[in-house]
Amino acid sequence: MKVYGPPWGKPIFSVDIHPDGTKFATGGQGEDSGKVMIWNMAPVLREDDEKNENIPKMLCQMDNHLACVNCVRWSNNGLYLASGGDDKLVMVWKRAAFIGPSTVFGSSSKLANVEQWRCVTILRNHTGDVMDVAWSPHDVWLASCSVDNTIVIWNARKFPEMVTWLRGHTGLVKGLTWDPVGKYIASQADDHSLRVWRTVDWQMEANITKPFSECGGTTHVLRLSWSPDGQYLVSAHAMNNSGPTAQIVERDGWKTNMDFVGHRKAVTVVKFNPKIFKKKQKNGSAPKPGCPYCCCAVGSKDRSLSVWLTSLKRPLVVIHDLFDKSIMDISWTLTGLGMLVCSMDGTVAYLDFSLDELGDPLNEEEKNSIHQNIYGKSLAITSTEAQLSTTIIENPEMLKYQQERQNSAQANLGPGSAGPESSAPKLNSVMNGESLEDIRKNLLKKQVETRTADGRRRITPLCIAQLDTGYGNTSLLLTSASKIEPMKALDSRFTERSKATPGVTAAISSIAGLTISALKDIKTKDDTSSDSEDKMASINKNLSFSKRKPETLMDGGEVVEKRKKGRPRKDKMAAPIAQPFTQPSRVAAPPAPPAALKLPTPSIKKAFSLQVSMEPAVFLEVENEVSLVAGSKLSQLRCSRDGRDWNTLLPSSVVTAAGSSSSLCLHRFDVVAVACQDRMLSVFSSCGRRLLPAIQLPTPVSALHCTAHFVMALTAGATLSVWDVQKQKALVKNESLLTILSGADTTVSQSLLTQQGVPVIGLSNGKSYCFSSSLETWTLIADKGDSLVQCADFRSCLPTQDALVSPGPLAVMQGRNLNAGRLASRLSSTPHHLQQSMTMAFLENQLASALTLQSAQEYRYWLLIYARFLVNEGSEYRLRELCKELLGPVHKSAATAWEPTTLGLRKRELLREVLPVIVENLRFQRLFTEYQDQLELLRNK
Amino acid sequence: MAKVQVLNVAVLDNPSPFGNPFQFEITFECMEDLPEDLEWKIIYVGSAESEEYDQVLDSVLVGPVPAGRHMFVFQADAPNTGLIPESDAVGVTVVLITCTYRGQEFIRIGYYVNNEYTEPELRENPPIKPDYTQLQRNILASNPRVTRFHINWEGSAERMEDCENVDPTSNSKVPPSCLPGKAPPLGILPDNSMDCL
Repeated sequence: MKVYGPPWGKPIFSVDIHPDGTKFATGGQGEDSGKVMIWNMAPVLREDDEKNENIPKMLCQMDNHLACVNCVRWSNNGLYLASGGDDKLVMVWKRAAFIGPSTVFGSSSKLANVEQWRCVTILRNHTGDVMDVAWSPHDVWLASCSVDNTIVIWNARKFPEMVTWLRGHTGLVKGLTWDPVGKYIASQADDHSLRVWRTVDWQMEANITKPFSECGGTTHVLRLSWSPDGQYLVSAHAMNNSGPTAQIVERDGWKTNMDFVGHRKAVTVVKFNPKIFKKKQKNGSAPKPGCPYCCCAVGSKDRSLSVWLTSLKRPLVVIHDLFDKSIMDISWTLTGLGMLVCSMDGTVAYLDFSLDELGDPLNEEEKNSIHQNIYGKSLAITSTEAQLSTTIIENPEMLKYQQERQNSAQANLGPGSAGPESSAPKLNSVMNGESLEDIRKNLLKKQVETRTADGRRRITPLCIAQLDTGYGNTSLLLTSASKIEPMKALDSRFTERSKATPGVTAAISSIAGLTISALKDIKTKDDTSSDSEDKMASINKNLSFSKRKPETLMDGGEVVEKRKKGRPRKDKMAAPIAQPFTQPSRVAAPPAPPAALKLPTPSIKKAFSLQVSMEPAVFLEVENEVSLVAGSKLSQLRCSRDGRDWNTLLPSSVVTAAGSSSSLCLHRFDVVAVACQDRMLSVFSSCGRRLLPAIQLPTPVSALHCTAHFVMALTAGATLSVWDVQKQKALVKNESLLTILSGADTTVSQSLLTQQGVPVIGLSNGKSYCFSSSLETWTLIADKGDSLVQCADFRSCLPTQDALVSPGPLAVMQGRNLNAGRLASRLSSTPHHLQQSMTMAFLENQLASALTLQSAQEYRYWLLIYARFLVNEGSEYRLRELCKELLGPVHKSAATAWEPTTLGLRKRELLREVLPVIVENLRFQRLFTEYQDQLELLRNK
Repeated sequence: MAKVQVLNVAVLDNPSPFGNPFQFEITFECMEDLPEDLEWKIIYVGSAESEEYDQVLDSVLVGPVPAGRHMFVFQADAPNTGLIPESDAVGVTVVLITCTYRGQEFIRIGYYVNNEYTEPELRENPPIKPDYTQLQRNILASNPRVTRFHINWEGSAERMEDCENVDPTSNSKVPPSCLPGKAPPLGILPDNSMDCL
């Protein structure tokens, strides 16, 4: 054991060893500010290095904190250092992008900073001293706690974004620890409580007060710790029979039956060794299946340190009088054999243990298998990436994928994330090859100097380097769920606008985006149908506004365009727009329909208009009973498309109309359909040519849709028909909805027709069905009450690229309730395998639904999520079956029924996309190799 | 924490005749885009006895300042000799560079300046009325004194009162508070000069 005292002699409040073990950080009081220092580990470990003057002891010091630094913590990846201090700030530091040592300007200190660490983010939110900070496993979050009684969770991938506050403590929060499997975070405060919070919904899981009720005197910190196997949480200062203890809290039921006793004063800090140990095998003796145990260091105000093994009843070692003042922090090396302890007295001690003393550390695989046994695979696997990376890669293709992955990961992290050699990144030069020296020679002449309005000199400084403080574009897995949000926007398209007079309609069309967004805003505020007046008022307000100020309109238009990013293509949106009569409120509200007519019908209006699409701008205008010729009333249908109009006359009043419009498709086959009072359905081409003779519907129409060259009619008699106008064939023939309309009050709340001509019906009971013409039956594609949807937790399998988020009919029908994993929190006590099965079932449902809906993009999207889930969960059989299905027979034979494509997607192409996913788990490298080889074989054929 | 850190100040054209303009090449780093300009000033301390004789040689606005590292040369005319007490013309005085943001000074960099005759004869027998044309100005560039003040960078009404990190030259024998206005004789200057470059 060696003692190492930093020279400034002021209290050291925190110490933390870098994950790579080459350096450590201390935090504490500086001269007039807080001080963070980074030290070289080598001189601490080896005496020779200590004596060698060429080896720097101090690497960097940062005076930026205005007041005492209470906590320093390295991120798990070692790229960042977080510090929290009495100045209420949390600072995040990163190795900076300059080359070579430097000193602080104006400082007389000869100690140059060997490494440059620069504050990249200041996290301001606490209103009191920050006492502790902690990075979550995998550095997804950073938590900080403060004397303002709160804990703040920061989004560590998008600083300074805040995820949430954890409120509830009624006293100063002085310690934080994350559960090693990432399910919980625990905090200890002066309010005599230890609280455990769930990371799923950030609600409190447990509030443990009993062991702390006697706690009197305050300690500066209460650094609690979670055991590496996740089974135990050990508190700082607790009391048992008037004696200070460190309370052991069991994960199972948060029981508090055991504690570490023996310190004479309050325990300030507890720190578990990151390793799990097993009994050292004696030479020659037969290996005994000993139970693995953990090792825990406890530091106290009584200036002594005790080290415990959970397998022993007594401490392994107790060291008294190591310091002159209270112990403030403890940090283990990742190897588990070294420990740094710091004290108020301004010194840091290094303790060295041998394997004989602690036992044999389990390797990561063994540790992982313990995690797997306790928590299941999905939680465990995420904690073993480091270990997997050391697995031998057998296949060069696999290696390539791995390297590509690493490269892209590094690209995301930006410069400075590479290995130690390249970790002094290049100056982000903007000087076009000119050397700094050249610039400096002419700077005075070259610099831009202007005069301000009041005659003052103003110099534009020459930017010689941009900050490389970017965190890269690593998108957060957890927020990608919100990308599904835009789907909700579609719901607002089911909006009645028929009150508008034709003149106004035209105007609306020109600012369609604007009005739609306005409607959407109103809709979210108040979703009842009674405020349609307000909606119109709002539209008109927008209208009159835009008429007066066209430039404002442009602005508005731009804004709307921006907001629309990530939403589905306009032509796809056209379908829902095209049918203004399926507004949910309308259907829910109508007067009781006659018994024979199950579904409501739109009322007949004198005139109405609707917009089929925005681009190209297509409008339909209907004017009923427009002229009297020989006593018969004629109705006029007018269509305007990109300024070209056509119109036609119909012998009966038009009840509803619909049109399809595709802007991209070259061979477009757009249709317009109208249903009349006499139950006649007429279909016209986009130029107004009648395509089919009038179709007689069995009952009055309830809803009408056109998508591409498909026309769907839902009748009041609850029957559904779909025609393919191009092929002049019926896809669905008078199919009754009675099978799905079970229950007296159930009615149709939504209907749509996909681009592939698959009809989808959403019911008021939350279920959505589509009619599969190949199976000739109704199939359930979404159920809002489905507990699988709400319990499935596949967030970790979501793709990170925006492009992969796929809009489509499935998402439209599920959009609102696809907050998968929402209820998962309530099931936090659910055994892992149960949730795993639910997620699997849910994902398989999604795949099947996408397949029935013939929604290729969605199928591909869910397939990749499903594959990733199988990979994460290690479900080899399913994965293998999936690959087998995608690959198909390698050798052609007549007997095979294997189709090379599904929904127009080539299955083998899909397999090529799935393979990189498989690579993510090295366990499956054999599987990967097998299918990679077969794909190659097929390609060469 | 200060959003602007001064990384280096290089004193250009030094030593130089008394009448030459001051030139400082200032390198600073800014953590985030500043919505307002920085205001830099050069103040010449005319006499150690009183702040009365301080002359603001010039002030410039510097901006816009995006996040990153920047440099500029701040040039200001030599002091008006008419405002300098004759007894203080020769010898040691101080020049200050200050920077303010939103009207709040957050850094003050001080240099000792030695004005002396180059001619040995004039050195021996300095004229009663100083001959500024013969004076040489020598700025002790190797020993800047930096004082940082904690200010409110956000621009809200809240004022920050505490002074941040007064003079990092902890081993300096000269307390920073006596820097402005009082120029101690060169003899007691610490010799642990640190080259800024």
